[in-house]
Amino acid sequence: MPARWKDGQAGFLSILKRLLGMPDYAAYVAHLQTCHPERPVPSEREFYDEYVRTRYGDGPTRCC
Amino acid sequence: MPLTILPWLGLALAGAVAWGTIALHRGETISAAWLILAAVGTYLVAYRFYSRFLAERVFELNDRRATPAERLENGRDFVPTTRWVLFGHHFAAIAGAGPLVGPVLAAQFGYLPGTIWIVFGVVLAGAVQDFIILFGSVRRNGKSLGQMARDEIGPFTGMLTMAAILAIMIILLAVLALVVVNALRGSPWGVFTIACTIPIAILMGFWMRVIRPGRTIEASVIGLVLLLLALVAGRWVAASPGLAPVFTLSASALAGWLMAYGFVASVLPVWMLLAPRDYLSTFMKIGTVLLLALGILLVLPPLKLPAVTRFVDGTGPVFAGKLFPFCFITIACGAISGFHALVSSGTTPKMLRRESDARLIGYGGMVMESFVAVMAMCAAAVLDPGVYFAINAPLATLGGSLDSAANVIRGWGFTVTPEQLQTLARSVGEETLLARTGGAPSLAVGMAHIFSRAFGENLTALWYHFAILFEALFILTTLDAGTRVGRFMLQDLGGHIWKPMGRTSWYPSVVLSSALVVAAWGYFLVQGVLDPLGGINSLWPLFGISNQLLAAIALCVGTTILVKAGKARFAWVTLGPLAWLLAVTLTAGWQKIFADDPRLGFLAHARATAGQAAAGALDPAKAARLVFNDRLDAVVAAVFMLVTVALVGACVREWTLILARRKVPVARETPFVETVYAG
Repeated sequence: MPARWKDGQAGFLSILKRLLGMPDYAAYVAHLQTCHPERPVPSEREFYDEYVRTRYGDGPTRCC
Repeated sequence: MPLTILPWLGLALAGAVAWGTIALHRGETISAAWLILAAVGTYLVAYRFYSRFLAERVFELNDRRATPAERLENGRDFVPTTRWVLFGHHFAAIAGAGPLVGPVLAAQFGYLPGTIWIVFGVVLAGAVQDFIILFGSVRRNGKSLGQMARDEIGPFTGMLTMAAILAIMIILLAVLALVVVNALRGSPWGVFTIACTIPIAILMGFWMRVIRPGRTIEASVIGLVLLLLALVAGRWVAASPGLAPVFTLSASALAGWLMAYGFVASVLPVWMLLAPRDYLSTFMKIGTVLLLALGILLVLPPLKLPAVTRFVDGTGPVFAGKLFPFCFITIACGAISGFHALVSSGTTPKMLRRESDARLIGYGGMVMESFVAVMAMCAAAVLDPGVYFAINAPLATLGGSLDSAANVIRGWGFTVTPEQLQTLARSVGEETLLARTGGAPSLAVGMAHIFSRAFGENLTALWYHFAILFEALFILTTLDAGTRVGRFMLQDLGGHIWKPMGRTSWYPSVVLSSALVVAAWGYFLVQGVLDPLGGINSLWPLFGISNQLLAAIALCVGTTILVKAGKARFAWVTLGPLAWLLAVTLTAGWQKIFADDPRLGFLAHARATAGQAAAGALDPAKAARLVFNDRLDAVVAAVFMLVTVALVGACVREWTLILARRKVPVARETPFVETVYAG
């Protein structure tokens, strides 16, 4: 698969995840590397657990 | 400038012509196209002019000011998001069963009153509420409605807000569960398909966390395929003599299963059931809403329901009460919904990239939900009126048989034959559609009608069950998410009394608080199932009142934000809707408690029931329970009214103190920080 398509696919998946309220691990890692390079990068599973816990933890995320 | 205004004038004209056409063709069948055109014309003009006025003059949105998403970016919940993506995210979060069910129930007044309220209610009230709360929260680091009420008005109001949220949650969960019960009782196909969503969600949960961590899209696609297989397999289950009885459940049995489900889902870890279900139902929601829009636009079906029915006089079979105030209580979501204030001050403000995007997302997102409500109204109005009332009137009114139902409905002046009802039920793969009050089944019949005309005639039964699945799926998602939120709130409260109760991961506390929340909504659900008038008649108005109460709180918070910012001259943008909501909520609450008609007033119904028991027409034990339930409902309505009055009183006091300069307004906005984004 050409690199351009791969980028396109990754971009599409990332948009879809954001739209549906799903965690986006790649974006998180990119954020950590630019803003907090000193912090350890969690595994995908650790990130997933943390994400769903905060998202569904403190109030309604969806309406009736 | 004058030239750019021209297309908008054209649009305004098109909308006006559409409204005119609807007005002039009373008593004739008109096409759904006119409703759509009138709505869209009004939306676009309001969005272009009114929301711009709000954004530029009232809120003075400033793109030079960094949003919380930029300042606090953490790659998780604070993430600057492109505006159209966030629009989709916000829309998927606010649109649920509410905007679909309310309009279908209010269709008993005809399609016109509900549609007018949906369209004008949203542009003048609902969208303003969502917009101002989103704006307020963005300027306060994404704070929630409860926190804003506490900070801006006072601790008393903050506490009332939290109590109101818990109360609305309990009534909401009960009434939505009742909608599912009414849609699924005696329907093996529906029960099988919905039951399958649980193992499917658990499989997805393990897939996303254990088997292939983070592959959420992949797991959702697998889940969707399995779900569609379950839908098709449901027909086979319903036809199988061995399996059909297993999945044919009575209303009480279904209520029990739903309560058990809510409890288990609240106790299990989020990743196992709640998160995957949420993804699945969001996928289905966006897909089905697009499909419905496409279907309606392709078919442009004629509306067979009258514009206005005789039931505006308050004698309607679906729920009792006159057009005013009950049309405006029945349709909460879709016109103005207090619940949205929780989302607008929840996940969305943490993702807003630029302040000016709040206009599209806050105002525009709500307008979009209103459009979904108009589509739901169209889907209900394509049904023959006789069929609509056969599906939505309670069993006690219709009598047990098709003949009695057809007779009763003919008595109301609508033509329907027993054969017609029989054929319709068969065509959607059900034994009977009588008295399936709650909106979901009539919406499903309407959607099946539209879909099968748009995408193929011979699939009616499949479309019907697809529509039921779609609604039940996200109602169940609301049940588990809502039970969980209620549990957290209860644990938070409990933590003040005894510390360990507040630890959200301490198992005894989790189990106890989950059980309490389920018991609370379960009580109202069972009450609704046993209610001889069909529980929707008492529970849906209570839900509407509580939702509008929350909207009143949100508008009070919004007004306070304006007054404190020295913009009291613009306070009419929130005070207007607030005055209307108070008129509607307090009138409806008063009538539900004190009206003399036993179908309308809780106390009158309690008296009538006690009278029947005294005359020996009713089992005394059963009567005692019904009387207790009526009184309980009356107390709930009274509490909602008292909370509303206390809250508005506290706010008015605060506003007058500030305006009379006897109190210095304290601005709680986070200080200005210049954005680093270019342009």
